[in-house]
Amino acid sequence: MINTVAITNSKLNQYRLRVRYRKDGRLAHLGHLEVINTINRSVRRSQLPFAVGNGFARRMRLQFSQALPVGAASLGEYFDLFLTEEMDPKAALERLAASSPTLLAPMAAGYVPYGLPALEAWLTRSTWSVNVIDETSVEALSQGIDAVRARGSLTYLRGEKEKHVDLGRTLVSCEVRPSGNGFLLDCRSTEEGSLRPAILIGAAAREEGLAMPALSVCRVAQWHEDEDGSLVEPM
Amino acid sequence: MRLAREDLFRLIEPLLPLVEKPSRYLDHEWGAVEEQPGPFHACLVYPDAYEVGQPNLGISILYDALNGADGISCERCYLPWHDMADLMRERHVPLLALESAAPLASFDLVGFTLAHELVATNIVETLDLAGIPVRAADRAEDDAIVIAGGPSVWNAEPLAPMFDAILLGDGEDAIVEIAACVRDARAAGASRENILLALSRIQGVYVPSLYDVVVDSTSTRWGYAVPRPGTSAPEVVLKRCVADFASTPACAEHIVPYMGIVQDRLAIEVLRGCARGCRFCQAGMTYRPVRERPMDQVVEASERGLAETGYDELSLTSLSTTDHSQCAPMLNELDERLSGRGIRVSIPSQRLDSFGVDMANAASGSKRGGLTFAPEAGTQRLRDVINKNVTEEDLERAARNAFEHGWRRVKLYFMMGLPTETDDDIMAIPAATHRVLEIGREVVGRGKKSKVQVSASVAVFVPKAYTPFQWAGQLEVGEVERRARLLLGANTDRDVKISYHDPRTSLVEGALSKMGRAGFDLVLAAWRRGCRFDAWTSEFNYDAWEAAAEELGYDLPSIASEGFLLDARLPWDHTSPGVSKGFLQREWRRAAQGVTTPDCTRDSCVGCGVCPALGVDNVVWGERA
Repeated sequence: MINTVAITNSKLNQYRLRVRYRKDGRLAHLGHLEVINTINRSVRRSQLPFAVGNGFARRMRLQFSQALPVGAASLGEYFDLFLTEEMDPKAALERLAASSPTLLAPMAAGYVPYGLPALEAWLTRSTWSVNVIDETSVEALSQGIDAVRARGSLTYLRGEKEKHVDLGRTLVSCEVRPSGNGFLLDCRSTEEGSLRPAILIGAAAREEGLAMPALSVCRVAQWHEDEDGSLVEPM
Repeated sequence: MRLAREDLFRLIEPLLPLVEKPSRYLDHEWGAVEEQPGPFHACLVYPDAYEVGQPNLGISILYDALNGADGISCERCYLPWHDMADLMRERHVPLLALESAAPLASFDLVGFTLAHELVATNIVETLDLAGIPVRAADRAEDDAIVIAGGPSVWNAEPLAPMFDAILLGDGEDAIVEIAACVRDARAAGASRENILLALSRIQGVYVPSLYDVVVDSTSTRWGYAVPRPGTSAPEVVLKRCVADFASTPACAEHIVPYMGIVQDRLAIEVLRGCARGCRFCQAGMTYRPVRERPMDQVVEASERGLAETGYDELSLTSLSTTDHSQCAPMLNELDERLSGRGIRVSIPSQRLDSFGVDMANAASGSKRGGLTFAPEAGTQRLRDVINKNVTEEDLERAARNAFEHGWRRVKLYFMMGLPTETDDDIMAIPAATHRVLEIGREVVGRGKKSKVQVSASVAVFVPKAYTPFQWAGQLEVGEVERRARLLLGANTDRDVKISYHDPRTSLVEGALSKMGRAGFDLVLAAWRRGCRFDAWTSEFNYDAWEAAAEELGYDLPSIASEGFLLDARLPWDHTSPGVSKGFLQREWRRAAQGVTTPDCTRDSCVGCGVCPALGVDNVVWGERA
């Protein structure tokens, strides 16, 4: 549900505009910092009345959802832009779309309450589509995933650092896609960390003695998980 | 062999997950010209990684000029990093241009930027990856015409065998003439030989294959170039120069990269040329005359460029921005118009006096990073030799002004190995650095919390073509290291940091700056031994360069340290930026006597010869401070 009426923070007189955008095609290979810089510049080009922070560096007030891995596409990424004037979100969306690269196009915009927690911490659930694009057997990988899940946790190297992921908490469900060519993962991010789909598939492949398959990864949607476990739409 | 023009991104895409920084290869940046209808296709190549090449203003200017011309399309290409290059070779993927993802070897015209001497092996690597014959002489009739231009063309001889033509000087008009000449000649069915002859008739275009190298008693061991009989190629190719700089587009940068690049900001070129006359400075001699862009044009272009690109930083670039006669009102006007938008204005280097600090202050707003000055030499005697017209008092006043305005970190640039340099000159570098630190402590206080820090970066002087020091030899590596030990040993304060450049990198740069056309064999041999990305400290491999030299019977130290006789014919005498040899010889003699020469934008004409040779004048819009 898109909000069309802004709720301002009366002290700062600022309005929090939430924007859903996609990250697609070859731009899936952008890193998180590159996406942040690009959207920052898109906002400047759009000439929207963005707010500037009061810190030393005087940066635009802009918040992002959790980083996507390099190479992963998304149909549901979000940023919150703080505006100094209330303007029609449709008009804001049009201006943003006209100033953004097509493969990072904003798709929806609406106001959210000013005082919501930061996006990165608030969006805790995500659905991922993982397609295997080489000859690796999805069935074998599925067996590998079951074996990895049965152990309850996963340890892997990120750079030179050893990382641990609690699969019981971070992997809510994993199903083979109806087409049979990959998986649908439902993941939860916790304070300790979150699960990257490619890490899970890599571990499953090792479990089965297979090479890391070529994957096409896409974050399909994100939600906020309430205390009672219900999912809240970001917009 | 000319390859077919087709989109081959599908061959690169599977490699992207396997390489670092895949955004180097993506294209589709904001502002890139994606429609490339041609029918004449040109590609501009910066032979280094994307993040180094993309901010190059010269490429932006030429990209705009070519894409704005009827029937001509222009794309970009950068050298893939090792990981991507290895994968491309393994899978037989040729080098592609960014916009169309068509093979570089399918283009009609391929133009390289020569930014400095150490890109030499990268050019070989680019051509080899593209499948274009490295030597111009080996290219087939239908192969792309490969040209070059840029700040480092003034001794192009060691690279000349790779190029069909080399453009000297300003490119914005000439590049379109070159493209049109190739297009029309191709359309008329002209042979490659005749296309090159036609190119040699365009002012500023040097066609190396039309010149023979002669070594005799009047020359250095590298010889000199003379036109081949019957070619009508000019004896001396004079550079191109845009007389009316204000008539060129002020905002040339439209492409906004995704990845962080080395100068990630909007650059507006506020003036071209510098007449201060520093005797070591190649750009100062070869970009003359001075041509300022009027203030109103700079301000309007800055606002428009920032709105179009979305950058939050603006750099007012030139060889010496604070010399612009309207610098102060220009910065004030920009400050007024850009305030409240979180936009930072920067100027690339500070003039070494109080005015320079005032301008840095006006540009930076409340932000106080480090401030950089370039005294270049430690003693007044040596500063007079190099014609760096600043005094000890200038340095002290500038430093005091900087600390009083809130700066806490000051960086000083010096050189070592300058002609006539003695140990006293070397020891004066740490002395000057400590003096600046003391001034900082006087102004700010001595406690740890004052955070006053001064650093000195000392480069090795490399004699360059078309400077008054072109006849000098370079200091040998052993002596550089001895003087460096003197420098480092004289540092007695933890708040002073002194560093010096790797003398071996400078040695290769020095050798390539001195060699003639025979130097290309060295470049090729070094590339065969794996040398590329030589300007990257992490990639430079001196041992490979030394082995390549040995294989050819060369000794790099003796090449670089060789001085030339004042009346010798030099390897670059047939290409000219307009500055006369007589002027350079006179400046060399004045240097030896420690006599300075004034700046002709503030004083009378010094007789460098550029204005009469090119039919141009200095263009200065106000009184220079």
